[in-house]
Amino acid sequence: MAYRVGVDVGGTFTDMMLLDEDTGKFWRVKTPSTPHDPSEAVLTAITRICEQAGVDQKNIAQMMHGTTVATNVILEGKGARVGLVTTEGFKQILHLARSQTPGPLAGWIIMIKPDPPASLADTAEVHERMSARGEVVRELDEAHAEAAIRSLVESGIESLTISLINSFANPAHERTLKAIAKRLAPTLPVTISADVLPEFREYERTLTAAMNAYVRPKVEHYLANLEQQLEQREINARVNILRSDAGLMTLKTAEENPVYAILSGPSGGVAGALQVALRAGYPNILTLDMGGTSTDVSLCRGEPSIARETRLGYFPVKVPSVDVHSVGAGGGSIAHVPELTRALRVGPQSAGAVPGPASYGRGGAEPTVTDANVVCGYLPPKLLGGEMSLDVEAAKRSVQKIADAMGLDLYDAAEGILKIVNENMFGALRLVSVQRGFDPREFALMAFGGAGPLHGNALAALMGAYPVIIPPAPGLLCAMGDLSANFRDEFARTYIRTVDMIDREELTGILRDLGEEAKAMLSAESIPADRQDVQYSLDLRYYLQGYEIPISVQPDEVMNNGIGTLVERFHQTHDRLYGFQLDSPVEVVNVRAVGIGRVSTVELPEGAASGADASAAHTGTQQIYRNGEWREAGLYDRALLKPGNVIEGPAIITELDSTTVVLPNHTATVDTYFNLLINPMK
Amino acid sequence: MTVQVVKIAAIPDIEIDSVTLDIIENALKNTRYEMDAVLYRTAMSPVIREQHDQFPMITDPQGRMVVGQFGSYITGLMATWDQTIEPGDVIMLSDPYLCGGAISHVNDLLVLVPIFYEDELVGWASMFGHMQDVGGPLTGSLPTGATTIFGEGLRLPPVKIYERGKLNRAVLDIMLNNVRQPEMNRADLMAIVASCRTAEKRVMELCERFGKATYLAACGALLDRTYRAMQKLIVQNLPEEPQFFEDYIDDDGLGNGPFKMKLTIWREGDQAYFDWTGTDPQALGPINFYLNEGMFKMFIGVYLIMVFDPQILFNDGFYPLLHVTLPAGTLIQPEFPAALGCRTHALTRLFDVLGGALSKRAPEFTTAAGYGTSPYMLYSGYNTQGNFFYLMEITYGGIPGRPIGDGMDGHSWWPLFTNIPTEYLESYYPIRIDSYTSIQDSGGAGFHRGGNGIEKVYTYLEPGEVSIHDDRWLTPPWGILGGEPGMRSSKLLRRADGTEQVLPSKCDQVQVEPGDQLVYRTAGGGGWKDPLTRLAELVQRDVRYGLVSKEKALNAYGVVLHDDLALDADATAALRAQKAEERGEVQPFNYGPPLEELLANAEHDTGLPAPSRPQPIKWAAVRAARRQQATSSNGSTNGKSMG
Repeated sequence: MAYRVGVDVGGTFTDMMLLDEDTGKFWRVKTPSTPHDPSEAVLTAITRICEQAGVDQKNIAQMMHGTTVATNVILEGKGARVGLVTTEGFKQILHLARSQTPGPLAGWIIMIKPDPPASLADTAEVHERMSARGEVVRELDEAHAEAAIRSLVESGIESLTISLINSFANPAHERTLKAIAKRLAPTLPVTISADVLPEFREYERTLTAAMNAYVRPKVEHYLANLEQQLEQREINARVNILRSDAGLMTLKTAEENPVYAILSGPSGGVAGALQVALRAGYPNILTLDMGGTSTDVSLCRGEPSIARETRLGYFPVKVPSVDVHSVGAGGGSIAHVPELTRALRVGPQSAGAVPGPASYGRGGAEPTVTDANVVCGYLPPKLLGGEMSLDVEAAKRSVQKIADAMGLDLYDAAEGILKIVNENMFGALRLVSVQRGFDPREFALMAFGGAGPLHGNALAALMGAYPVIIPPAPGLLCAMGDLSANFRDEFARTYIRTVDMIDREELTGILRDLGEEAKAMLSAESIPADRQDVQYSLDLRYYLQGYEIPISVQPDEVMNNGIGTLVERFHQTHDRLYGFQLDSPVEVVNVRAVGIGRVSTVELPEGAASGADASAAHTGTQQIYRNGEWREAGLYDRALLKPGNVIEGPAIITELDSTTVVLPNHTATVDTYFNLLINPMK
Repeated sequence: MTVQVVKIAAIPDIEIDSVTLDIIENALKNTRYEMDAVLYRTAMSPVIREQHDQFPMITDPQGRMVVGQFGSYITGLMATWDQTIEPGDVIMLSDPYLCGGAISHVNDLLVLVPIFYEDELVGWASMFGHMQDVGGPLTGSLPTGATTIFGEGLRLPPVKIYERGKLNRAVLDIMLNNVRQPEMNRADLMAIVASCRTAEKRVMELCERFGKATYLAACGALLDRTYRAMQKLIVQNLPEEPQFFEDYIDDDGLGNGPFKMKLTIWREGDQAYFDWTGTDPQALGPINFYLNEGMFKMFIGVYLIMVFDPQILFNDGFYPLLHVTLPAGTLIQPEFPAALGCRTHALTRLFDVLGGALSKRAPEFTTAAGYGTSPYMLYSGYNTQGNFFYLMEITYGGIPGRPIGDGMDGHSWWPLFTNIPTEYLESYYPIRIDSYTSIQDSGGAGFHRGGNGIEKVYTYLEPGEVSIHDDRWLTPPWGILGGEPGMRSSKLLRRADGTEQVLPSKCDQVQVEPGDQLVYRTAGGGGWKDPLTRLAELVQRDVRYGLVSKEKALNAYGVVLHDDLALDADATAALRAQKAEERGEVQPFNYGPPLEELLANAEHDTGLPAPSRPQPIKWAAVRAARRQQATSSNGSTNGKSMG
């Protein structure tokens, strides 16, 4: 009897899913997070879920863990004191950054520049130099370097970063320095840039390495703590951590390279959404994960889109991540009307969990998106189960402030807030679709997170992205994603040359070497050969362009046909993305192999088809305000809906952790897997 | 407009609900950033792609900017356009004299795409970007020795590069045949066009979604909204008594200088007046800045908004509130065919002068002066394989001390510009960067310190030619309200054999050999408010960071640090009291030594001879007088100077 758990530790809740690998049966629990020690909530969840399932904790063989520990360390600025070693002449690399100030003209007047992860006082230069081709220009002065590192160590740094100019081309000096540091301080965590990000552009590489060093002690501590507590309970599970690119990594890798997990949370959501959508027969989806303070959106075509850079707060961190775009628009976003322009703005300020929206009755008075939903009737005052009721009068009082400032009727003001927040999310969805050359009308919209199902239909109507898919338990999708994730790691090499300079055998050799590295990683993870996949790609661009487009490839294809067809695919992709092609030479920048170890998938529960009649789930009615008029909407209990049931909008479908709105002229159909599929009426 | 065939959509007089308006505003803002994104991903020249020397815009049917950065120029341009405008057309140009200074040197390629919906012109998408080379005698097309625009490369009059969607091959071939790296210009042009086409698509989608009438009414309302916001800003922040401010461009690259820029500001009710009378006559060298009136209004608006209320979406709506006087024949309104290539210094100094003039009414809000230009380093030649190489790099410097905090060290005064990574430079050019750092003590002392200037050390690996464009080597960036001036810029060439040579801040055709090293230093920013009141712990931190020396902490800030950099609080308090006593009241502005003294000591302090006082150019004065006469009869202040 083998069990696996997927666990997602979020800011507010810790979600867990337990799977019986033999029967495919699973259980879910949701418990409040414990930010002072996140492992506490994880263990509580284990206790509860095992009780619920009647399973002995010791039978949990594997734990797949999505965590925001690294994310929060960065967002809250509570990381380690980081020492940094640079090439002589580049001590200020993080201080000067890319020298950028915000737009428009004179934007520098209001710029606030946050402190980089390593202070200038904790930065030391060493005497050495590589060329961009990897030749030694100046030998490393080891005696001088040793003194410099010793002085850093003695000053009390908690984590060390080594990042030298052109180390992407030859990391020899970084490795020597690491050995010196390890000799001087065997327990000090040491991060070298060529290991974390062996790609050119020194600021981004140094920053990414320094970020890694910054989050490392806290993540190490958390993981060690978790391991120890599991051991105490005699749970012998193998723990894997979800990376930002929705792949799994081992505990050891996570301890050394925690920066790979900075978007672990959102990537679990995307992986979960995709898992559900694939099963429902929709490989192409836009995901909309709307929480309390922000909304994450992404685009998947059978698999998640992977980006090479992500921005966390102010800092661009270059690690492979699910291409999630985040906007400061959530249920708790506060609406306001600036004095000067009298324009209606929503967010990015948020009421957070405390005091929360006015309607939560926890002392909040500012009008939030949730309050607007209450005023318009989209959120019924009594949520299912009666665990929590909403204060409609408080919501009205808060939204009235907006109405007064704008000279609008209360209900128009509330609807205005919803329209603005929808527009903000629409902007984000457009960024990941239209702006990348994809037509949203060819995608389904998967709406989840606490507030996603409230807004999903309205967004689909703006974009023409149908159906809207609302999975069962929309607030628990991340844990499902964790549970169904695959092992994944990337192996890349910078290899800059125009295609006419490429030696076919050399390139094939590099691809195969990287592929072997990927396979070795998977084997080390005890993934059997028949469950190992390696995907190869080249990053291509027109000579002298600055940004690359990844084009997938097979080593044999390169060996047999050269890269002519590849170049053709590049031209076509460039044309799709930007609307033109050039005659200019095409250049290879990076060669990449991605190792994927497939873990068994999760079987979703299916229900027997029933008729279209949903009246068994009908619990009442509710007045809703839309486009300036009141309509009567049917209220439904989701738990009572059966596959095949059809609900005509306007309707509101409630369940334990979420509320779904079906707009007028739309219908919601329950599919075999208990998803709600919302489509416009013919 | 004398446009034929086209029906220009009228802005309908309909009420638009404020929520729809906010939605359209957001959509247009997003589109403007999408234009940038398309450009960065596809352009080839590092100047556009890495450094972001480019400016997008979307206008209403009349050509008034609704979102963007540099304000409307289309109205003026269309005044003389005598061809049709049709769907699929793309117009481009690069001659500043043919667009009233909408672009101000021939390196900037301006692209315009008319946007049609239901057979009516509903707006324009436009963008201009800096082309790394547009021909002419020197690589980079910015010769410091040019005395007319004919010495600065190819001048493109307004021309359709696409006519109804069809590429005009002849024009493209002529253009590319005149430049040193045709592939790069081709790619950059295509990238700019792709970017404008993106905006075109988005505006059409908005018309589709909301209806044309609503979209157009929204444009009108957005312009209105800015008008009203600006009205308040003017009344709150502009003086009724005229206030003036003066500052200088150090030299024109031909040994003449410094050139004075003078601006006087006042308001009458909610109408604001900006008068450049008193600015020096135009220069012989290429530092003239052919200032477009609309663009200057935009600068004013942007500046007021950033200083006083950054939330406002700025656009052209407030133009009728501003009245500008640009005297003909001056540095900021030169007579054709004055050379314009290196106008960046005056363009930047304009903001220093504007800030200085505005500060007299609202000193708490305004900032000191910064590094004050856009310092360039150009390096070109033929490598050992006989291939042409050419690098143009923009560097940055000290940001002024500001009300919100210290000026950033070695950051860009220009919006969104970024530096070129060392590893990129070394991968693509025969060059090595030996160091890239900010210069200790170069930021002016202040309660909020001015940012430090940049020191970048280049080693050249192939024989070639180097050009330098910088300023603020003679007059330092001033401090404000007790803040001290920033350190001046300098350039030192260290030959492979060890000999050293000070280079002027503006020069070209400097021959370099492998192993020669250039130490390129830009100016620091001026300080904001009294340095003796700066938190001693912040001074101590700056010393620990190596950004300020222990000596400067003592002398400029009155902060006493022990050898281990521990703070001696008592000695600091005593020293600060003593220094405050000796100094007396702080002055509103600190320009450093008087100009006469700077000139007298130039050779000694900088290693460069003092420039000689500029003499007015006779023909320019005559033509200016003629133009002044002509324009005063028809009331325009920004007339065309061709002819």
